[in-house]
Amino acid sequence: MTQRSNDGSLSSSSSSLAPAPRAALASPRTTEATYEFLAFEVSGDRMGLPLGSVKEILKLAPITPVPRAPGEVLGILSVRGRITTVICLRTKLGMVPPRGASRSARILLVDRGHEILGLRVDAVTEVLRLRASEIEPADAIGAGLAEHVTGLGRPNSAGGNVVSGGEVIVLLDPVALLR
Amino acid sequence: MSDEADRVRDEFLAESQEIVESLSRDLLLLDHGQKHGRADPDLVNSVFRGVHTLKGIAGMFGYRELSEIAHVLEDLLDHLRLGRVQLAQSSLDVLFEGVEVLQRLLGAIRGEVHEVDIASFRRSATALFGATAAPVTDPLAAYDLDPSMLGVLTEYEEHRLRTNAEMRVPLYRLRVRFALSSIDTDLDGLKSRLKPVAEIITYLPSVESSGDDTIELEVLLASATPLSDLRQLVGDAPIDAIATRDRPSRTMPPPPAGSGGGMVAPSVAPPAMRTGEGEGRDLAPRDAGAEAIAVRAVAKTVRVDISKLDHLMNVIGELGIVRSAVGRVLDRLGARSDLRPITAELHRIHRSFERHLEALQDGVLDVRMVPLGQTFDRLARAVRQVAREHEKEVRLVVNGGDTEIDKLIVEELIDPLLHLIRNAVGHGIESRDQRARIGKDPTGIIALNAYQKGNHVVIEVEDDGAGIDAQRVLARAVERKLLDIQSARDLDDQEIKQLVFLPGFSTADEVTDLSGRGVGLDVVRTNIGRLGGVIDLHSTTGIGTKFTLTLPITLAILSALVMRVGNHTFAIPLTVVQEALFLDPNAIRVVDGREMITLRGQSLPVVRLAELFRTGDPPRQRGYVVVTSLGQRRLGIVVDALEGQQDIVTKALGPSLASVRGFAGATDLGDQRVVLVLDAPSLLDEVLSADTRVASSSSHDLARGGPS
Repeated sequence: MTQRSNDGSLSSSSSSLAPAPRAALASPRTTEATYEFLAFEVSGDRMGLPLGSVKEILKLAPITPVPRAPGEVLGILSVRGRITTVICLRTKLGMVPPRGASRSARILLVDRGHEILGLRVDAVTEVLRLRASEIEPADAIGAGLAEHVTGLGRPNSAGGNVVSGGEVIVLLDPVALLR
Repeated sequence: MSDEADRVRDEFLAESQEIVESLSRDLLLLDHGQKHGRADPDLVNSVFRGVHTLKGIAGMFGYRELSEIAHVLEDLLDHLRLGRVQLAQSSLDVLFEGVEVLQRLLGAIRGEVHEVDIASFRRSATALFGATAAPVTDPLAAYDLDPSMLGVLTEYEEHRLRTNAEMRVPLYRLRVRFALSSIDTDLDGLKSRLKPVAEIITYLPSVESSGDDTIELEVLLASATPLSDLRQLVGDAPIDAIATRDRPSRTMPPPPAGSGGGMVAPSVAPPAMRTGEGEGRDLAPRDAGAEAIAVRAVAKTVRVDISKLDHLMNVIGELGIVRSAVGRVLDRLGARSDLRPITAELHRIHRSFERHLEALQDGVLDVRMVPLGQTFDRLARAVRQVAREHEKEVRLVVNGGDTEIDKLIVEELIDPLLHLIRNAVGHGIESRDQRARIGKDPTGIIALNAYQKGNHVVIEVEDDGAGIDAQRVLARAVERKLLDIQSARDLDDQEIKQLVFLPGFSTADEVTDLSGRGVGLDVVRTNIGRLGGVIDLHSTTGIGTKFTLTLPITLAILSALVMRVGNHTFAIPLTVVQEALFLDPNAIRVVDGREMITLRGQSLPVVRLAELFRTGDPPRQRGYVVVTSLGQRRLGIVVDALEGQQDIVTKALGPSLASVRGFAGATDLGDQRVVLVLDAPSLLDEVLSADTRVASSSSHDLARGGPS
C-alpha cells in the first residue's frame, strides 16, 4: 500500500531531522546560541517552526473533510492508525486557501501536548540554523499575524548589517499557533 | 504523577476494587443467611479477611481514610466473629454502609467522586458499638484532653491526633512563652528541635495568655520519647504528659440493658483484646493467611490495562487493512491466467491468514469480556439499601449473571441500571400493606435477567409492582407541556408510557435520595444510546414494569453501513440501522417544515445528510433512506448511495474536533480511505429536538417517537 510505504520513507526522512539537544546547537566558534528551524513556504512567504516542535513530515495524503469543523480544519487522516486532524496553515494565518492538490505540499506533525496535529504547508524548504543575533523580536509584524509569531529570522544579518530587502523568515510560535 | 506511580495506583485500585466486590458478595450471602436463620461463620471470616487485607494495602499505599474505614469494619467484624456482637440486620446495615463508603472512597481515589462522607458511617458504627466499642472507634476518649482544645482542631490535626492515639503514642502538653517580636524564629527553632523525636499536633495561644510583648502557646505533642528527654529539648518550658483515662473503666462491658442495635452484652470480658501485645499475637496468623490468599489469586490471573487491549485491537484493525489490501491484489491477479498456480497458492495463504486473524480478534475481544455478575452484585446491594429506606420488602432475583459483555460497556451500565433499580423499588413495588390488600405476596420481586442474543446482550429489569399508570403519565406530560391534549388523544396506553423517556418528564419536586436524584429516564436512554444500545419499556397496570436494554457485546469492533453523499463517505453502526430503502421522491411530504415519508403506515421524519452537514453537494432526486432507530425514536437519513456493510474499529477524533457534533469517530476502511462514523444518538437528538414540544403537531408518530 502506497500510504504505508510513504510513512516508512517519511519517518526515515524525519529521523534525519531529529532535533539535537539545545546545548549541542551552540556554535563551537562563538558562545552565541544558535537555533534550528524547519523552514517552509506558506502562500509565497517563508516561515519557520522550531525544529524540535516538528515530529514528522508527511507527503500530502488524501484528507477526509470533516463537515461542521472550523474553517481552518482541512480534515482528518490516519497516521499509522491514529486519526490526526490536519489544519491548513494558510487559512489559519488568514491567507488565501490553497486550491487543489500540490506536489510539493507537506503535512508537518506537531505535538501540542495532548494531541498531535497536522499542519499543511505549501512546501518544506530546509533546516535553518539561526544565531540569536539573527533573530529579531516580533514587534514589527502586522496585527493579524502577530499573535502566532515569535520573531523574524534574518539569516546572515549578524553584526547589525541588516541588508534591506534581504531574506526574511517569519518564525512561528508553535504553542500560540496550536492553541 | 509519574507513570510508575500511576501504575502502582492503578494496581492498588484494581486489587481493592476486587476485594470490595467480594466483600459485598459475601455480605449479601450473609444477609440472606441471617434472614433464614443460618448465617455461615465462614462468611464472617471471609469478610474479615478481605477487610483486613484491604486495610493493609490501603495503609501501605497511604490511603488513610480507606484504611481507617477498613479498620472500623475490621473491629466490628472481629466482634461478630467472636460473638461479642450478634449478627443482625442492624449490624449488617452498618457493614453494608461501610462497604458502600469503601466503594466511594475508591471512586474518590479514581477521581470519579469528589466528596465522601465518612462521618455518617463513623456515627453508625459508633452507635452500634455503643459503649463497648467507644475506645476502639474513638481512641481519643482514652486521653484526658481538654474538650475546648479538641473543639478548635482542624480536621487534619484531629486526624493526626487520632492516628497517634490509635497507636498509643503518649501525648504531651507543652507551654512555651515567646516574645511577639521573635515568635516566628523561636517557633521554628522549637519545631526543628522537636521534629526528630516528636510530632507537633497543634499549637494554640494559651488561655491565660500573654503579657504585653509575649505570648504563651500551648503545644500538643505526640512522642514516644521519654518525658525526661523531651524536657531537655524544651528547656525550662513546662511540659506534662496528658493522662490517659483509667483503662479498666474504658473497656468495661456496657450494661446489658439499653445497648440497642443488635448488641449483646459480651459474654467474655474483652479488656485484654485491644491493648498491648495481645493484639499483635492475635494478628500474626491472620496476616499470613490473608497474604497467602492474595498470592494465590495473583498467580491465576493477570491484570491488564484496558488501553493495552485497545492497542492490540488497533493492531488487529491494521492487520485487517493488510488483509483487504492483499485481497485486492488477489482480485487483480485473478485476471492473469499465466499466474494461476501462484495465485492459487496466495489464495490459500490469504485464507489461512484470515482465519488466524479472526481467531486473534475473537481472542482479544474475549479478554475484554467480563461477566455481568459483578455489576449485578452491586445492584443487589443497592436494592437492599433502597428497599430498607422505603421500608418495602424486595427480593432480587438474578438470572444470567455469567453473561459476558465488554468491560467498557459494563462500566457505563452501572449508573443507568442503578437508576432503573431505584425506580423499580421507589415507584414500582407497592408498600407491604398495599400488596397485602390486593392479594400479592408482601415481598416484591425485582428480576434482573441477562442473556446473549446474537451480537447483543439483553438486560431486563423487571418488577412485579403496580405498573405505570398511563393516565397519570399523560396528565403529567400535558401538565409539563410535553405534548398537547389533541395529540395525546391519538396515543394508546403503551405509547403513553413511553412518554416517561421525555426530557423534563421527571421533575425536581420529587427528587429524593431514593429514586430520582433529579436524573430522568431520558438520561438513561441517552446513556444507553451512547453505548449503541436501546432501551424499551413494557408495563402492565397491576402486574409490573419491564425495562429491556439491548446492548452491543463490544464497542471495539462493530458492523457498519458505509454510505455516500456526494464526495463524502460515512459509516453508521448497524446496531442503530433498522433498514435501508430506496427513496421515492414523490413520497416525501412536508409537515410543519419537516420532510416526512410514510413507512408501512407510519410517518417517519427524514433528514438529508447533505443538507444537515452542508456538504455543498447538489440535492439529488434519487437516493436511499437509512432508517435509524434508538428505542422508540426513529429518523430516516437520506444519502446518495449505499456502499455496503463492513466491520470497523472506531477511533476517536482528536480533541481539536471535540466541539464538532454528529460524529462518533472515524475509521480506516482499508483502501486509504478514512471515513467518519456517524454518532446516531447525537444526530437523532439534534434533528428531532426541534420537535421537543410536539404541541403544534398532531402527527401520531411524532408524538410517539419523535420528541426528545
